[in-house]
Amino acid sequence: MTVKKMKRRAILAFVQNKPGTLNKISMMIRRKMYNVDTLTVCKAKPPGVSRMTITLREDDEAKVTQVIRQLEKFTEVIRAKELDRDCSYWREVAIVKFELDTKKLEKLQKKYQIEILDSKPHDIHIIQIAGPTDRLDSFLDDLGAEHLIEIARTGVTAMDK
Amino acid sequence: MQGTELVLRALHARGVKYIFGYTGGAIMPVFDEMEKQKLFTFVMPRHEQGATFMAQGMSRASLSTATPQIGVCMATSGPGAMNLVTGVADAHMDSVPIVAITGQVATGVIATDAFQESDVVGVMMPICKQTYMPLSADEIEKTIHEAFYVATTGRFGPVVIDIPKDVQVQQARENYNFDLKKFRPKLPGFYYHPSPERDVLHQAIELINRSERPVLFCGHGVISSNAGAMLQEFAEKTNIPVAFTLHGLSAMPVDHPLSLGMMGMHGTVEANRAVMNADLIISFGMRFDDRVTGKLKEYAKDADVIHVEIDPSELDKNVKTTVAINADVSRTLHVMLNDPELNSKPRRRWLQEIEENRQVTISSVADELADGVGIAGKLLMKTIIHRLSEITEGKDIVVPDVGQHQMMSARYYNFQTNNSWFTSGGAGTMGCSLPMAIGAKLARPEERVWSISGDGGFQMNIQELGTIMEQKTDVKIMILNNGYLGMVRQWQTLFFDGRYAGTPMQSPDYGLIAQAYGIPYLKVAELDQVDAAIRTAIAHDGAYILEFICDPSEVILPMIPAGGGFGDMIVSRPQA
Ligand SMILES: Cc1ncc(C[n+]2csc(CCOP(=O)(O)OP(=O)(O)O)c2C)c(N)n1
Ligand SMILES: [Mg+2]
Repeated sequence: MTVKKMKRRAILAFVQNKPGTLNKISMMIRRKMYNVDTLTVCKAKPPGVSRMTITLREDDEAKVTQVIRQLEKFTEVIRAKELDRDCSYWREVAIVKFELDTKKLEKLQKKYQIEILDSKPHDIHIIQIAGPTDRLDSFLDDLGAEHLIEIARTGVTAMDK
Repeated sequence: MQGTELVLRALHARGVKYIFGYTGGAIMPVFDEMEKQKLFTFVMPRHEQGATFMAQGMSRASLSTATPQIGVCMATSGPGAMNLVTGVADAHMDSVPIVAITGQVATGVIATDAFQESDVVGVMMPICKQTYMPLSADEIEKTIHEAFYVATTGRFGPVVIDIPKDVQVQQARENYNFDLKKFRPKLPGFYYHPSPERDVLHQAIELINRSERPVLFCGHGVISSNAGAMLQEFAEKTNIPVAFTLHGLSAMPVDHPLSLGMMGMHGTVEANRAVMNADLIISFGMRFDDRVTGKLKEYAKDADVIHVEIDPSELDKNVKTTVAINADVSRTLHVMLNDPELNSKPRRRWLQEIEENRQVTISSVADELADGVGIAGKLLMKTIIHRLSEITEGKDIVVPDVGQHQMMSARYYNFQTNNSWFTSGGAGTMGCSLPMAIGAKLARPEERVWSISGDGGFQMNIQELGTIMEQKTDVKIMILNNGYLGMVRQWQTLFFDGRYAGTPMQSPDYGLIAQAYGIPYLKVAELDQVDAAIRTAIAHDGAYILEFICDPSEVILPMIPAGGGFGDMIVSRPQA
């Protein structure tokens, strides 16, 4: 079976920072069976308000509108909207641990802006890479799965231009 | 002041007169305060689920009176709170505003698996409109007032307030002061649009004026916003027929010349064919649930859709709209009725087509209604409901349970009184009728209330006969006993080759049960006793139980099979 890759969408929501809000939103996502990729939360500028970025795969406009309306239905959600891909920045950070000889590492370093956090004996390195999702993906492709030991990704956070 | 006093002060300020509650360790302090104050009429159900449906009956029935009252139910922590779950979920599905208050174990032991601790907020969160847990006495009043506001603002729904026991007995701080007049809930994310926007309204009116084959949909929102009379005026003014959802019934007289009766799975032929052939649907306060639409792909293919709905998340959810109006039904109708552009048309061909289909419905059951009995001379549910409707002139309050008898009641009771039909639709919870009828009767004591159950559902909350006995509630009870879980049996007849798995059911001797509770009882097996029995129950001052022995092979038709389109409607009974 071939799975058609659906378009990636990002929804930005400002929510009241109350106990249970995150729980409620993730439960709604499960209940409605949306294909959520990432969900990130941080403090927003006004005190007591959190900023939440949700990315999901969905081609159906009506479904995306549904997610937004379901979010807005919660009294804790102050505002929710979709971020237009072309008019916003989407970024994530990854910490990657891998085993690679120094030569290859230097090549990667030239191609990608990575920060080396730690280099251990036996060619084991821990690096940090930030940027759009596809840059992170392409870095991992270039690295090769056989070299990868561990990876931590933050998920996407985003902002209007 | 102590937390418990603040709980009761807030409820009192919200016009609450009845509390449906069941005590236990974690809610005892509130009950104790209630006993001291004696401000409320306390009604004890025999199971906490009963309390939720009594609260629903109170909210739903009082909505159209001069003194609307939100139903309040109370339970203790753990098992008590868990017994509220079904009724709260049911209220959520049907947008009924109730307030459920539960005791919780003390804050110091929360999350230690303390005796009778359950994560009430966690369990209730996805099945109610909002959950609260005040963590200090100072928060209690503000929380309860916000809860009432949320329950009754925008689309109605149930809210749950879980109050730890130590918070109940805590003293408010010394200079604590709460001014309801100045109280505004701090909910920056909670807005709703009561008034329709001008441009969409004009688009809607243009579509209405242009339409040759329009249908009006009357949903629960018409009842909830008390707009039945306005909807009728709108239908008359524009000369457009009206189809009802299960919850829209009783918003206007169902025998009105423009009424098509109920639509959907068990709707009338005229309603469903009108929807199928319409060029315009004007829908007020409903959500295009699958029991209404059948197969979505085939639904109302040629129709433009105007959808007036207070909850924006319902717009374009199941059915794509041409014009979406996010507003209160009553306000929208009011503005539309006063718009000089709104026109009427004779639409003779459309109305004639509808009349022809009406005759199809009538002739499909003419024989059965004339005979009054089915196989082996057993009573037909439709006859019983039809007779009840005739004798009461369609004016009484009807609270059915869930099953065939529910659909028979929806189809054969000739609703004349606004807001006189309370049923579990979205959830379809068996056992709701008896407790919901109690709540309805307490809300509208001057009116006659009929609780109509099947033998299955009646046994699900049969214990509430104890409440009726104790409160001396005058509810007229009908058990339509067909010896089966009839609605499921009907599906087995039609779609499972007549294999009756798990549907035959024995009943106890309801006469003895009635006697045990001190409620008079009559068993009716013959057609010529039906009228007399109904009249006897009516004449009796107080509760009465009538058991009717019904034909298990009766089916409720027409029927659109689940997932089928309107073209798949089964109108007459397949030959066995
Ligand atoms: C709590 C609950 N359990 C199961 C069902 C599924 N169900 C729907 S109708 C029905 C049969 C109801 O039988 P009865 O109460 O005798 O009414 P009848 O259909 O015979 O009139 C059942 C089992 C339900 N709706 N609610
Ligand atoms: Mg039955």
